Amino acid sequence: MSDILILLIKIVAALVWFLVLTLYLTWLERKESAIMQDRIGANRADFFGIRVIGLFQPFADAIKMMFKEDFTPTFSRRFIHNLAPFVAFFFTAVTVQAIPFGDVLRVGGKEIKLQVLDIDVGILFILAMLSFTVYGVLLSGWASNSRWTLLGGLRGTAQLVSYEVALGLSLIGLVMVFPSLRFSSIVNYQGELLFGWLPQWGILLQPLGFIVFLFASLAESERVPFDLPEGESEIVGFFTEYSGLKWGLYMFTSFMKVLLIACLLTTLFFGGYHVPWLNPDGFHFPWGGEWLLPHGIVVLFQIIMFNVKVIFFCWLQILIRWTYPRFRYDQLMDFGWKFLVPLSVINIVATAIVMTLLK
Amino acid sequence: MVKIYINDREIEVKEGTTVFHAALDAGIPIPHFCYHPAFAPEGTCRMCLVEVEGMPKLELACSLQIREGMKIFTQNERVREARRGVLEFLLAEHPLDCPICDQAGDCKLQDYYEEYGLFDSRFSEVKDKRGKKIRLGKYLLHDQERCVLCRRCVRFLREVTGTGEMGVFERGGHTKVDTYEEGQQVDNNYSGNLAQLCPVGAITDTDFRFQTRSWFLEAGESICPLCSRGCRITIQAHRGFARFKLPKRVYRIKAVDDPLVNGPWICDKGRYGYSYLDENRATRILKKGESSPDWQEAIDWLSASILRLKHRNRLERVSVVLSSRLSNEELFLAKKLFKDDLGVGRVFFADAPPEEGDDMLLTPDRVPNTRGARELGWEDVPVDMEALNRETDLLLMFGPDFENAHSLSDILGCFEQIETTVLLTPFDGSLSSQVDLLLPTTPVAEKAGSLTNIDGVLRNFQPALPALGHSRAEWSLLIDLGKALDLRFQYYSRLSSPEAVFQEMTGEIPFFEKNVE
Amino acid sequence: MIKQFGYFLEIVKGSLITTRHFVVNMFFHILNLVGIKTKRKGAVTRQYPEAPIEVARRHRSLHRLMLREDGKPRCVVCMLCATVCPSECIFIEATEDPDPEIQKYPSNFIIDLNRCCFCGFCVEACPEDAIRMDTGEVELARYSRGDLVYDLEKLTG
Ligand code: SF4
Ligand code: SF4
Ligand code: SF4
Ligand code: SF4
Ligand code: FES
Repeated sequence: MSDILILLIKIVAALVWFLVLTLYLTWLERKESAIMQDRIGANRADFFGIRVIGLFQPFADAIKMMFKEDFTPTFSRRFIHNLAPFVAFFFTAVTVQAIPFGDVLRVGGKEIKLQVLDIDVGILFILAMLSFTVYGVLLSGWASNSRWTLLGGLRGTAQLVSYEVALGLSLIGLVMVFPSLRFSSIVNYQGELLFGWLPQWGILLQPLGFIVFLFASLAESERVPFDLPEGESEIVGFFTEYSGLKWGLYMFTSFMKVLLIACLLTTLFFGGYHVPWLNPDGFHFPWGGEWLLPHGIVVLFQIIMFNVKVIFFCWLQILIRWTYPRFRYDQLMDFGWKFLVPLSVINIVATAIVMTLLK
Repeated sequence: MVKIYINDREIEVKEGTTVFHAALDAGIPIPHFCYHPAFAPEGTCRMCLVEVEGMPKLELACSLQIREGMKIFTQNERVREARRGVLEFLLAEHPLDCPICDQAGDCKLQDYYEEYGLFDSRFSEVKDKRGKKIRLGKYLLHDQERCVLCRRCVRFLREVTGTGEMGVFERGGHTKVDTYEEGQQVDNNYSGNLAQLCPVGAITDTDFRFQTRSWFLEAGESICPLCSRGCRITIQAHRGFARFKLPKRVYRIKAVDDPLVNGPWICDKGRYGYSYLDENRATRILKKGESSPDWQEAIDWLSASILRLKHRNRLERVSVVLSSRLSNEELFLAKKLFKDDLGVGRVFFADAPPEEGDDMLLTPDRVPNTRGARELGWEDVPVDMEALNRETDLLLMFGPDFENAHSLSDILGCFEQIETTVLLTPFDGSLSSQVDLLLPTTPVAEKAGSLTNIDGVLRNFQPALPALGHSRAEWSLLIDLGKALDLRFQYYSRLSSPEAVFQEMTGEIPFFEKNVE
Repeated sequence: MIKQFGYFLEIVKGSLITTRHFVVNMFFHILNLVGIKTKRKGAVTRQYPEAPIEVARRHRSLHRLMLREDGKPRCVVCMLCATVCPSECIFIEATEDPDPEIQKYPSNFIIDLNRCCFCGFCVEACPEDAIRMDTGEVELARYSRGDLVYDLEKLTG
């Protein structure tokens, strides 16, 4: 009974964390882009006269979207048209359940893993769910029954399918180094030290794999410079015919993907929730000296560390989104198939050779 | 023929002309205020100074007769300097009235200042005050400050109208043109010519006063249709603004020199009576019991009505009321159509009743083409109301004069006996809503064609204004009707323009052959 | 490949530029936030409706018609402004003034600001200095087009 309760709490907590962070990601994007461009950014949403640097903006946006006319074009396939945004939203939202937020929390003799879904095929699960989000794009593009959405949908599908190849291949090297598909074990491997002092993070063992994964996942998120399915300036994109809350869902999904990618980068390549040299009983610095901490504080440190890393990668993605222009379509395909895929293959071969030599 | 040189160009001119005309013929206009071809040279303004080789002083082009081998310079520095001097003297006493002066844009003084002046005023003394805004006649205002003392007005009143109301008074810097008696009025029928004659804004029309500015106006030449003299005129109409609706199109009428017809003058009736062009115009086809037929429908309906009578052999029960407002071509087409092809029962003429003419231009007729109608073989048969009452099934009326000549109740009485009544007129009148079909047509100003004036002078004209609303010229209507009746389709198809009709006329009627322009 | 590597360098340089902007601006924002006044601000934004920019003296803003000392419009209806106006948005009607020195004054003077392009030609053309565009009024949004058709009363008021 209490197990199920704990599970439920974990599920809800993970989801709430995910959604709230996504909500504020929209704020972060506005503010960050503004600061990059010497502007101020949204700062006028006020709540009974309180403005606090635009922190209420996401709520204002949400309220606005809710009260906008939900317009479904008469020429669309209604059911699928309505379904599509929920498909995209759902398959993105579930992925968070496989991400480990921290190590084990011990409360009154009970061991609670700070992860909802600790399955041995965690990576595959996430890749599979990401593949499902293609349906959101495809269905909306097709069901809206408009030229723009169809073009957007086709572009989106082709792009997502292409980059999934690179995405999957880039992780093979990683799986070879940390021989597991389970997130918790991958993170735990990264907690170990190399040469006795260097945290054994994925990026150190798999620099090439990291680069490929970074680009491939940026492409998966369908944001500038990989925003061809949307491409406001040319075809508007697969959600042309959406308005109000359904359009909002697409927007939200795209931000959730940013957050998800940040989580994956953190978990796979940056040691997940690990703080360097923090062991379950406190810090053990390689230069000697230690700082013992109670269990609760350690877990808190881990969760904070995880969040800091995630937010950093969100920041990085937004920086990239506001720096570069959009790819041309042939460049996009070239980049995926002629650069990332070969690179990931090279990475696999090189990893295999190095591992054999080191054995 | 003598040989002279103007600005080193060799020119052959007739003996006895003046330097002014010789230069004008050679395409070299010479600035002038006082000279006007209608009067003998006066030599008062000294604007026309030119240099002649061998003469110590500059000479007046307007009055200097040419001699063999004369070498004339109209644009050299000495001449320009002299003209600049003349302008400076004129402007020393001239008010800065251009913004409120109706002449601005047409003003010779402005033009010459642009060309020869462009100096800053050196005149720092107080300018002489003279009479402004003096009523000079029904249509005229006089502003003595703006006068350049060219005496054209004085000469016009002495030599042309012979009334001599005005003269030159005082001397030197105080010279002014004024009427002999305080408050005397120029009230003959040609007073409007003074406003056109005055090279500056000293005499202006009250009619045009402050209505608009002259540069907004576009001029189109036409013929005045208000009497059978047929004076040549230009009709000046506003181009209109993109956003604001103007109350009218036509703002003024000016005379155009036509030596055989009117010379440089026109009468006040023609000059100021242009409101008919914009007011009370019939602009839409009206058909009883139908909302808005187009031309095709209207003409088809009309021809069907006529053909119905033809099949019943009742064409003699068709009556046509023609008008001498129609052009030669239209009257000719009417003859072809109604007389030759259809052989209708009766053709009448309804024209405005003659009024008093005068011994200058104005004739008693109040319609332009009485002579043309005669030359075409039409007789002036007055409308026989009895015949209309009893022997008419279809009545075709041209022009507004029939309805003006008879009382409405008489006409309506006739209409009760007549099956079909059709009115073709440019004007909206009380009959417009009574007839079965009203076809809006164009006055002379909006169509092309030719008119024969009272002296038998033939004059062509082109549209000076676009046709208002849906209205169409009668000649094109008659041709379309001829085609629709399908009696001689080939013949009417060939006549696609007034020129083509005129060609046809010259072949048939010797009078027109003689008078080809 | 080498060419593409060149692109790659430029791409990295690009993100360094945006990062620099971010960092520098953030630095000033934080200084301001904790209450340290700096001359340079983190952003160039002006908070418009609260802190309006002062309109330059020569800026061409809403028209006005100048008046004579006795309160009559200085305009003499020469229509030069209506002539020169490239958008044909000026419409004037003249009336007779009893004073023979003035003679002509506008009974109606309409500027259709819907069409006006604020070129200022009318001001340049006016021989009487009767029309000026120096009111400093630039907030000319209205709820209906009719409100933007300015007549004599509005232009002199
Ligand atoms: S007469 Fe000519 S120069 Fe004199 S005020 Fe009138 S327009 Fe100007
Ligand atoms: S009023 Fe006109 S026409 Fe008469 S003298 Fe003066 S300028 Fe000449
Ligand atoms: S500013 Fe330009 S467009 Fe506006 S009224 Fe004046 S001349 Fe016309
Ligand atoms: S230019 Fe000046 S004086 Fe002339 S109409 Fe316009 S505002 Fe009036
Ligand atoms: S035109 Fe010759 S003196 Fe006036």
